[in-house]
Amino acid sequence: MLAYILRRLISIPFLLLGVASVSFLLSQMTKGDPLAALVPERQMSNPEIVNAVKAQWGLDEPMPIRYVRYLGNLLQGDMGTSFSTRRPVALDIAERLPATLELVIAAMIIGTAMGLALGLLSARFRGTVIDSLARIFALLGSSLPVFWSGLILLYVLSVRFSIVPGTGRLPPRVDPPPDVTGFYTVDALLAGNFPLFLQALSHLALPAFVLGWAVTGIITRLVRSSLVEGLSLDYARTARAKGAPERVVLVRHALPNAMIPLLTILGFTFAYLITGAVLTEAIFSWPGIGSYAVRAAASLDYPAIGGVTIVGAVAFLLANLVTDIAYAWANPRIKVH
Amino acid sequence: MADTTASLPGQTSGAMRLVRKLPPTAMIGALILLFWIFTVLTIQFWPLANPLDMVGRRLQPPSAAHWLGTDALGRDVFSRTMHGAVWSIPIAFLVVACAVAVGSVLGALSGFFGGWTDGIIMRLVDVTVAFPPILLAMAVAAMLGPGLTNASVAMVIVWWPIYARLMRAQVLEVKEREHVEAAIAGGAGPLRVLRVHVLPLCWTPTLINATMDFGQVVLLAASLSFIGLGAKPPSPEWGSMISEGATRFYSWWIAFGPGMAILTVVLATSFLGDGLRDVFDRRSS
Amino acid sequence: MKHFTLKRGLAAAFLASSALMAPPALAQGSDTLVIARSMDVNSLDPARAFCDTCQFYLTAVYETLVTLGADNKTLVPNLATSWEMNDDLTEFTFHLKDATFADGSPVEAKDVVWSMERLKNLKGSPSFLVDDLVSAEEVDPKTVKFTLGASNSEFLNKISAAYTGVINSDVAKEHGALDGVDAAEKDSSEPWFLENSAGSGPFMLKSYSPEAELRMARNDAYYGDKAAFSEVVVTQIQDAVSQAQALETGQVDIAMQIDPDTAASIRSPDVKTEIVPSFNFVYMGFIPGAKGMKDVLTPEVRRALALAIDYEGMLDFTVGGNGAQQAAPIPNGFPGTENLVPRTYDLEKAKAMLADAGATDLKLVAGYPNDNVYGVDFNIMMQKVQQDFAKAGVELELKPLTWAVWRDELGAGEWPVTAVYYAPDYYGSAQYVQYFGMIDGYPWAKRASVGDFPLVVNPAEGPLYEQALRSSGADADAAYAKLGQQMMDDAIILPLVSPNLVLAYRDDIEGVRYSACCNLPLAEISRK
Repeated sequence: MLAYILRRLISIPFLLLGVASVSFLLSQMTKGDPLAALVPERQMSNPEIVNAVKAQWGLDEPMPIRYVRYLGNLLQGDMGTSFSTRRPVALDIAERLPATLELVIAAMIIGTAMGLALGLLSARFRGTVIDSLARIFALLGSSLPVFWSGLILLYVLSVRFSIVPGTGRLPPRVDPPPDVTGFYTVDALLAGNFPLFLQALSHLALPAFVLGWAVTGIITRLVRSSLVEGLSLDYARTARAKGAPERVVLVRHALPNAMIPLLTILGFTFAYLITGAVLTEAIFSWPGIGSYAVRAAASLDYPAIGGVTIVGAVAFLLANLVTDIAYAWANPRIKVH
Repeated sequence: MADTTASLPGQTSGAMRLVRKLPPTAMIGALILLFWIFTVLTIQFWPLANPLDMVGRRLQPPSAAHWLGTDALGRDVFSRTMHGAVWSIPIAFLVVACAVAVGSVLGALSGFFGGWTDGIIMRLVDVTVAFPPILLAMAVAAMLGPGLTNASVAMVIVWWPIYARLMRAQVLEVKEREHVEAAIAGGAGPLRVLRVHVLPLCWTPTLINATMDFGQVVLLAASLSFIGLGAKPPSPEWGSMISEGATRFYSWWIAFGPGMAILTVVLATSFLGDGLRDVFDRRSS
Repeated sequence: MKHFTLKRGLAAAFLASSALMAPPALAQGSDTLVIARSMDVNSLDPARAFCDTCQFYLTAVYETLVTLGADNKTLVPNLATSWEMNDDLTEFTFHLKDATFADGSPVEAKDVVWSMERLKNLKGSPSFLVDDLVSAEEVDPKTVKFTLGASNSEFLNKISAAYTGVINSDVAKEHGALDGVDAAEKDSSEPWFLENSAGSGPFMLKSYSPEAELRMARNDAYYGDKAAFSEVVVTQIQDAVSQAQALETGQVDIAMQIDPDTAASIRSPDVKTEIVPSFNFVYMGFIPGAKGMKDVLTPEVRRALALAIDYEGMLDFTVGGNGAQQAAPIPNGFPGTENLVPRTYDLEKAKAMLADAGATDLKLVAGYPNDNVYGVDFNIMMQKVQQDFAKAGVELELKPLTWAVWRDELGAGEWPVTAVYYAPDYYGSAQYVQYFGMIDGYPWAKRASVGDFPLVVNPAEGPLYEQALRSSGADADAAYAKLGQQMMDDAIILPLVSPNLVLAYRDDIEGVRYSACCNLPLAEISRK
């Protein structure tokens, strides 16, 4: 077990090297001209400007030199300078990471809560209409494209009925809370500003729901099947025989049985959420890494694309590592390859 | 995909038995998929407006004449949605088929031969799956230039490792069985053993996974088109139709049809995939 | 059950939020002006910036020698109180007023000279404004003289562009800004300009966070009339509908990019919308130098295709009729455009001309940036062209591209048709000839010919342009009119739409106007 974790940890730097190399190579195979982000359309035929820019951005050097320099800089935490924001990519990402994390964590909480609730509901009433409805609602979340469900919900709840505020993290007129964690909801509470907290929360609610709904399906399915399995086990039968009502059997005896698989799947949903976050952020103009990635991909801002993929890969690797460890810990009998 | 269906366990009678064993939801899923496949094959004979022609005033809400209204160019959204299947469904088939082909071949080689082959292929798998799928797909699609072909290439790159791992695990398990060891002892060449004695027993998980992934591929393809890295206008691809609707909130009907279409395909494949898995899991346990 | 309490909890959260929204909770007083915009900032350094957002930011923070009056035609004094020029239009002398930078130091000739030298030597995007500058010299601390390499009747107009704003040289130099010939490679001040400003304008940069927010604070030490707002916040709101929504709920005071379709859907009585003609236009360009097109896309064929476009339908499709047709690639209202007549749609004639030219079964490919600019969705616009061409028997394949790929393929002549847009940097027609003229070495002549200049060069245009630069007033206008006609006959650039601009703002805001040089002059805006 310890050896396994150690082996996984050792493999991470090599994987990261692979990731960095792949993203560098991708950027070199590019068909488009990265100068597009640096020289406006009207000046691109002006060789003087183009050459000055190339020299300034080091684009006129041979590829191996750029590769070595890229890796060297990465080791020092320097991901290069974004072509479009003209700032260090690491700075851009650091500034945007809290927004994404706040969204993803909120979505994870909502997704887990809904998944647990729906799973309990459908296990309790298995075989009935309630079971079907709960499962369909859960399944809808993972089958709907988030960029569509987000759009429709935004239209209905915001544009049509003004139940939730529009896009962004806060109303434009409102100053963000003093920066402590970067999570507006948490920082507002820390600052003791409750109205601000509510505003941040109301902006967070819809995108987090849309994103959380997307993982509800997986969680519901898992919770339901482990509950159903738990209900058929001996101790559940015994409890029932002793006259415990079904509700109690479910919550007290079967639910703990479902917690371990739930823990192990959260890592997996995290990965799923990263994917969903990219599109959700694009729809809700959420100033996180996802919308940054979409913009970078569209403008071929390859320092930014590289930075985002590397940060994404690190998050992904960590999540997978945690999942694997949790899995190994929960099922010690299973031999991990 | 032809040879994969042929190697389904059991033959025709087995297939019939399988159908009978499928839960009702899986049947619904299968019917929806069949409907879309039927649509793809016959759409040219449907009495629908040309999806590329202006047929009415622009941005008209749904009406008897235009069931899902008209878009910003006065084209019939319902007709475009149905025609969208011609883009999304075959592309998804193609992507899944390529991913299965590439992944299975590499996975089988990796599992069967072990050693260096295994090491190289699996490191490649590890690096590929280290990327969050959408970021990798976006990066590849952006670098290759937008377009459905390049988006498909990007999606195959994202998906093949899953099948490589699946197939490798299966081959590793089957390799140990007696009849395989007997065949090797009998002097059969390694590739022949792999082809005749190992592979036919390894397809089930791959097939179930492929069914489930089909819907996910439709989703990712639409996502890439949505952010402008997929289909080109005027093709009525579902993702790009939603993206056209996204800038016109008040004309909600532009995005409604394609969204529902994606939903039905994804739901159908997860129903069907679930059903298949239940049947095979029961059989294996 | 858990499920229901959760639902109720969510509902409560939604209700709470809607209660909060009803009267927007203002953390900032009415002293702040909030503007909704999808920002396109590429830099905040005057000599490097080149974007629509930059235009109004730079105007608010830096000041130019002269600027454009409210009539969008007349040049009026700004940092310079008066100016003289020689008869050749090669020497310009400016007399500066007693202005001060935000740090209190005086604006002097040395700052003007330094800023202009830097603009030229940095070889940044706006450097073309001063590319014919031979020398800038300080006559005395309040007088500066520019010498040009050739006559240029539009030099004054050029230096009304916001990018020629005068920088406090002492401050900028401390942060790595250079003005020498090595500036392009050695100047290291760009990050500093993203966080600070060094101008003499009524506002100063407070903070900037890319694609999120641009904050300006009032320059309280301003030497002239101080701005009405203590703070201006430009907030990133991507699409027109969200901008309109933010405006209706009072979250923002001005929304800058609302298209006419969306403007029509605004119901709030507290919002004012004004639709004004703009000087922006979207055009289609032919590239006869593209692969295999040399003998296909002949002038006759191009002129025929130009007649096959249903221009009025185009206006309707792209901007819902809220725009104008434009004849030549010079915006309506600019010098020389007065008597130019836009093309008319004539399908029969187009077909006949195509048949005469032997162009049957014509198949073309259009590569264009997949973008939405000034309310015009390029995809929709090009799909309309595709349909119109189809009626004339011409097949047009569309290739929407990211900017990066578009540039690459454009340079290689991958396809014969494209579409782009243009917004003026200042009031004057020379910038259009300089860009669209079919003159040897000029940008669009190079693009259209893919380097094979004789294919497209129109020998009449070079001399006409020289004549325009040598003369001024009515003579210059006449020369530009002739140039416009020549460019129409070239049929390389087909302006498709000049979209109207929607000025949308809360009704307690006044002083909102559209300027050809500066987009939105912030210092003129106030709350009633």
